[in-house]
Amino acid sequence: MFLRQFLLAVIGGSAGLIVSAGVFTVLISVGLIPRFAGKMHVACKVFVLEEMVIFGTLTGCFFSVFSEWGMVGNYVRTHKIFGNATEGVWNFAGMLIQLIFGLFAGIFVGCLALAIAEMLNTIPIFARRIGFRHGLGIAILAVALGKLVGSLIYFTQRVFMYGG
Amino acid sequence: MSTNGATIYLKAEQNVEVQSKEVCVKDIGRLTCSDPHALAKAKSLRLWQFQEDACKRQVISILRVIEEIEKACPGVSVENLGETDVLVEWIDVDRHKGFLQWCKLSFVALISFFGTAFTIMAFHNDIGINDVFSKIYEMIMGMPGDGYGILELSYSVGLAVGIIVFFNHIGGRRITKDPTPIEVEMRIYEEDVNKALIATADREGESIDVS
Repeated sequence: MFLRQFLLAVIGGSAGLIVSAGVFTVLISVGLIPRFAGKMHVACKVFVLEEMVIFGTLTGCFFSVFSEWGMVGNYVRTHKIFGNATEGVWNFAGMLIQLIFGLFAGIFVGCLALAIAEMLNTIPIFARRIGFRHGLGIAILAVALGKLVGSLIYFTQRVFMYGG
Repeated sequence: MSTNGATIYLKAEQNVEVQSKEVCVKDIGRLTCSDPHALAKAKSLRLWQFQEDACKRQVISILRVIEEIEKACPGVSVENLGETDVLVEWIDVDRHKGFLQWCKLSFVALISFFGTAFTIMAFHNDIGINDVFSKIYEMIMGMPGDGYGILELSYSVGLAVGIIVFFNHIGGRRITKDPTPIEVEMRIYEEDVNKALIATADREGESIDVS
């Protein structure tokens, strides 16, 4: 029994090590965080950003691996953390958390998508092939709008029910 | 003035930030010379004056610098040991302080936090991590698992250790003296941006160069 538990621990630990290396190699090689820091001129505080990357990943890992332990809303509602006002307060707080999470995760994923496209040189190659010198800004705006519309269609038309 | 024969060695930087509107030779790099008079004269030579409403970025070719120095101190020769084009940026306030800076930092920090939380959750969802774990548990223990166990825990610990080793620091303290991968990537990115800006300025004829 002990040996089997030990084997499980070894498997889990090694999986975690390799997964983090893989996930972060992708993140580093698309060079997203340096870009944020460069654009906002906060390169001197790049340590803070790395800390946020680390804690963000660990938080995400907790909520997806231990999803039943991560039921914060359920816990708050059943234990009435804020007394009688719990329903109202938590409805508001929940909306706020959703707003913040959605907005920032959306920004990140949007940047990631275009950074990957750029890393694969699709945009420069495309621009060179069709010989276009001006209006790259409009093309990028079109890509952004396309992503916005696509995302809205995906969620409103419930594409996730049929796809994949 | 007996400046004959002296050589001014100049080591130009690729990118410099100036706080005053006037850009002098001493702002764009370091100089040394055996003749202190020629050195002082060359250092204080004015190269460019930023206008209030114009572009706050200017590329200066080292040829122009050499020309200016040779005009001001006849007889000296100038040798450049650094970059051949210098990108000068004028910043009117110290942008590394203040409330706005703090806002920007927290904005980027929030993106990094929620973005990476979302990506790892999407990744776990994609691979169906709980199914995989319960299958591994069943294979090894010979019976279906109940709730969360050592596998999930050790996976999370492994993930944390992996990231910390990868990023090379815990809570602001480095584990080894090496720069972290994001710091390395940051320098590469800065260099790429500088090169692109210099190349663009050269191509569009906006850099200050000898005619």
